[in-house]
Amino acid sequence: MSQMEAISSSFRDRSGYVFLHNDIYYRAVNQVYKSDYDHLIKSGLYEFLTQKKFLIPHQEVNHLPLQDTIFTILQPDQIHTISYAYEWSFSMLKDAALCTLYNALYALEFGMILKDANTFNIQFINGLPILIDTLSFEQYNENEEWIAYRQFCENFIAPLVLMKYCNASLNKLLQVYPNGIPLNICISLLPLKARLNVHVYLHLFLQNKVSTKNKNGDSTSKRNFPKEKLLTLLQGLKTFVSSLNLTKDKTTWDNYYDDTILSQFYLTEKKALVKSFLDQVPFQTLLDLGANDGEFSMLYKNTTKQIISLDEDRNCIEKLYQTCKKDGIQNIIPLVCDLTSPSPDIGWHNEERSAMFKRLHPDIVLALALIHHLAIANNLPLEKIISFFHSLSEYLLIEFVPKEDPKVQQLLAHRKDVFDNYDLKHFKICIQSYYEILKESQVADTNRTLFLLKRKG
Amino acid sequence: MMTFLLYIDPGSSSMIIQMIVAGALGALFFIKNGWYKIKSFFIKSKDSDEDKKTPYS
Repeated sequence: MSQMEAISSSFRDRSGYVFLHNDIYYRAVNQVYKSDYDHLIKSGLYEFLTQKKFLIPHQEVNHLPLQDTIFTILQPDQIHTISYAYEWSFSMLKDAALCTLYNALYALEFGMILKDANTFNIQFINGLPILIDTLSFEQYNENEEWIAYRQFCENFIAPLVLMKYCNASLNKLLQVYPNGIPLNICISLLPLKARLNVHVYLHLFLQNKVSTKNKNGDSTSKRNFPKEKLLTLLQGLKTFVSSLNLTKDKTTWDNYYDDTILSQFYLTEKKALVKSFLDQVPFQTLLDLGANDGEFSMLYKNTTKQIISLDEDRNCIEKLYQTCKKDGIQNIIPLVCDLTSPSPDIGWHNEERSAMFKRLHPDIVLALALIHHLAIANNLPLEKIISFFHSLSEYLLIEFVPKEDPKVQQLLAHRKDVFDNYDLKHFKICIQSYYEILKESQVADTNRTLFLLKRKG
Repeated sequence: MMTFLLYIDPGSSSMIIQMIVAGALGALFFIKNGWYKIKSFFIKSKDSDEDKKTPYS
């Protein structure tokens, strides 16, 4: 394989491509994009957008060999955690949509236009969305429409509207339709009251109607779309996206810590114990599984450590994202993830967008009050659970919740207890074949046990 | 229908729809602005704090 071969997701744009070299991601800019790239830099657009934190900063590098087709090579700021729109909460997708629109609006002021508007071009860096595809801009020709309009509607408007009017989990449809939710599918799911919103009607219903009627296209017609109309369109989209809010529905894990039967004393004691265990491990990246609204992720807020907080409950992840945004916490990235069915490899050749756990490389995994949900609620054998954790990181901080615990009793209340091997003794036998036990301690006044483990071999 | 649409340049009907949408939105802004002007004639409104907002607030 060539040293500068494009990564599997970088093949759509002839302007350039991304490649990996010595564990650093670079972006090659092809000769065909030279004039647009020069305009991006010389017009001041690049400097403006990077200062506003709407576009990823880069350095031009010259230590790598240039092929004839390549104009220059960029080394962008490296992204710690790659995430996808089907793993975001509502506000994350909304902010990503706004980031795309700000880039489009400001580009016009500098004589350029945003030619791409897909969700994969936006990533969360230091707590906020940022456009990572530097080559998404091209010089604006007067009277040109927004080429990415339909793409923006299918990638951002459709999932946001479905989340608002139908169910807040429906951004998961982007996993099935990674290039955007087709408008005819989106409108078939929307209730009547959605159609009554003038923006929803125009961007989704009417657009679908016009494109279906206009099957033959009109490629011969002259381009005649005044700039003021383009600005009206973009401003209208911005106003609409800004106005979108989620009608809150209650989920299982809402107010978990407020409603929990376990005491405040338990929580305080557990936090102190977890912190004392974690402080003994040299880690940079922590993966908090079943993070809820980030109670334990917050132990390391505003430090240099990177925290990835996963929970299957979208309301918890939404709440955590809002808290991080409000308090300016930059080192926590909250993502929605059902551990029993995490995001798979998708796209062309199943290589375009990788599975969730291929993207995360934590030094330590935090699995607090989680194992009983996997073992009892999902019938997963302890061996399989431990083997999964073992594949993720060097260290594991895990809380074992025994069968006599009130929470486990709740899970067993309406089902037959077929979990003969679910006890501390069997748990310890399982972990000892994968890990060495560094620390072990009972949690506060419960019969739960906390283990700090280090991977064997 | 879907198979047929695959052979069409996705941008071909884009201009028509964008014309309609931008026209409708323009009219909407016009009506909205007119309404605000009438309203502000009778009620002294506070200055808009739109510009003071952070991008994602």
